[in-house]
Formats: sequence, C-alpha cells, structure tokens
Amino acid sequence: MFSLLSNFQHSKEVRESKDEVLVGEIVRAMARLQYVAIGFVADMGLQSVRFRPLAPDSVLNSVLLQLDRKTGGNALQEAVLGNKAVLTFQAEVKNFLADPDDLVKMYRTDLQNIFKIPMLGDVRLNHQLNSVFATKKVVVDIDTYIFKGEPGVEKLMGLLTTHIGDLMGKLAGYKKK
Amino acid sequence: MSTEEQDAVFVSLVQSSWKRYNEMYYNARMDDMLIGGVIAATVEGGYSLIDLNSNGRDHNLRFEDFKTRDRLIFQLTHLSEDLMTAKVLGRHARVKIGYGQVINNVGAIWQALKSEFKSAFMDSHEPGIITVDADVAAGYIYAQVGLIFELDQYFANKSIDYALMQRHILGTVAALKKYLVGRMGK
Repeated sequence: MFSLLSNFQHSKEVRESKDEVLVGEIVRAMARLQYVAIGFVADMGLQSVRFRPLAPDSVLNSVLLQLDRKTGGNALQEAVLGNKAVLTFQAEVKNFLADPDDLVKMYRTDLQNIFKIPMLGDVRLNHQLNSVFATKKVVVDIDTYIFKGEPGVEKLMGLLTTHIGDLMGKLAGYKKK
Repeated sequence: MSTEEQDAVFVSLVQSSWKRYNEMYYNARMDDMLIGGVIAATVEGGYSLIDLNSNGRDHNLRFEDFKTRDRLIFQLTHLSEDLMTAKVLGRHARVKIGYGQVINNVGAIWQALKSEFKSAFMDSHEPGIITVDADVAAGYIYAQVGLIFELDQYFANKSIDYALMQRHILGTVAALKKYLVGRMGK
C-alpha cells in the first residue's frame, strides 16, 4: 500500500544508522577529492563503495573503501565501547599493455610475485591478472567524523588522503607506461 | 606481414576493444554513479544519509537533517541500462523524491491522506503527481513525486556536475515542502 516508504525499515534509531551516515560523509569527501563512486554494496553493518579517480593521469584505476562496523550496535555497547569500525582501503593499479613483448615481460616479472602476498608494513600487495591491489585496514571512531560540520569533513578528507596516498606510493612502481 | 605489423594489428584490436568495453562499463555503472551523485549532492545540502538499500534495479536512499528532523527519501531506477537505448534516447533515470516532516497528531495524518485513500494509494508512475504518505511508526508524513532525470546533463567525461544535481534536488524538495505544508493546513 505505502509503496515507497515500505522500502525502508521503520523507526530506525540514529544510533543504528551511524555507519550509513559515515558512508554518506565518505561519498561526499571523496567527491571533493575528485573521485566518482562507481559501485555500492550495502549489507547490515558492512558497506563497500568503489571509486574511480577523475584525473586521467592518475596512477590508480580504482579505490575500494569498505566500512565494517564493530561496536555500537546497542545503547550499552555504544556507551562502553563507542562506535568503532574497521575501514579497509584497497587501491588498484591496472596495466593496459597490448604489445605481446611487453605482456611476456610483465608475466615473467609478475610470476615471481604471483604466489607471494607480501606485507609492506601494514599494506598487503596482491597481483591478479593485469591488476595489482594494495590493501590496508585502519580502525576508526565513527563519532570523530560525523555530526561535526565542516571540521569533521576536513578531518575525514585528511584521513582518506593520507591512506590513499600511502597505497598510491606503494603501487606507483607497478604502473607500466 | 612482418612480426612488427602483426603486433601492430593485435595492439590495435586490443585498444579498440578497450574503447568499446569502457563505453559498456560506464553505461552499466550509471546507476551507481547516480547514487553517488545524489548522496554527495544531498549531504552537501545539509542532510545525512541514514539508509541505503536496493533490489538490484530500484535503489532506495533515506536522508535526515538532524537539526530540523526533516527527512528525504529517494528511489532511483536507471531506465537506459541497455547501451543501445542510452545512445538512441540518451541516458535517463526515474527518480522518486519524498520530503517528510515529523508529525505528532495522528488524526491530522488521516485527514491529510483522504484523497490518497480514495485513489487506493495508487503508486502513479506519471511524473509531477504529488502524493502524500505516512510512516506512522516513525511519526513522519511525506509528500512525494516521481520525475525522469536526463542523466547526460549531470555526467560528462565520466565526472558529475554536483552543483546542478543539488539545484534540481533542493528545488524539488522546496516544492514538496510547500505542498505538504499546504495540505496539512499550516
């Protein structure tokens, strides 16, 4: 009967929606950092958004941000532990080689790495076909970045810039020209 | 053909394949880009995202302004998923937007919904028809309208004109707010 409203869970408390609020802030912050959202996956307590950089000369092909809320699911947990989440950053470099000689060269180089998943500090590298992925996880306090106005947005942009920049630095050497 | 010429043929085929693939890839991602655009534009407009779900075709978003407790709801449906449709008719999406206010007087809700009762709460797909609906459990009453957005005006060179999208969303919200206030007799 109430077709559009029936798509939403009724009486959802603000506390339960804090991870969605942070996802909205992340999408806004990434838009300001010149990244376009190209994929969304949303489940209870786990949301993923994939972004593509607008700059045509960017080293990165895409960045995946995944927010996994760990605490704050009920009022007692929120009071004792706060609202903590694990934010996973996964940056991707993709190589668009076509020359058969370059493809063979890349295969021989990458074959050495194909079964290794090295850790560079807290960053994990993984080779898959013509892509190289770098992944890191950070624990965030959701309340630090939401309902804080413009200072909160700038703090979030700083967090995203720092960690994406870190991954970009690790991946730059794998981008083949 | 020499080896170099054969390599050049292969490189040319791969590059033209990538060009076609990227065209199909971005058209297939258009609904996610629309979701991202609506979220960024609406959050910049002072609202916070509080709900996000999808059945694969219809994508539902809910926002709240935590200062006024006003809410916005969106249902976004990409109508040009097929690349041929997108090229011939242009890219477009059905966008249903709802504006909601907190209401404490349940009697006022039923009074305001009288004409909706008469139409058996028909979910009209015709654009521009404003209907009123209620989320009684949460204590909200909404005015909602369906529109068809031409997506090419927002998406150029795979970027998004957030300012234009925000103007269109907030202009629609202002119209819905005016209508709802009028219907509630305030």
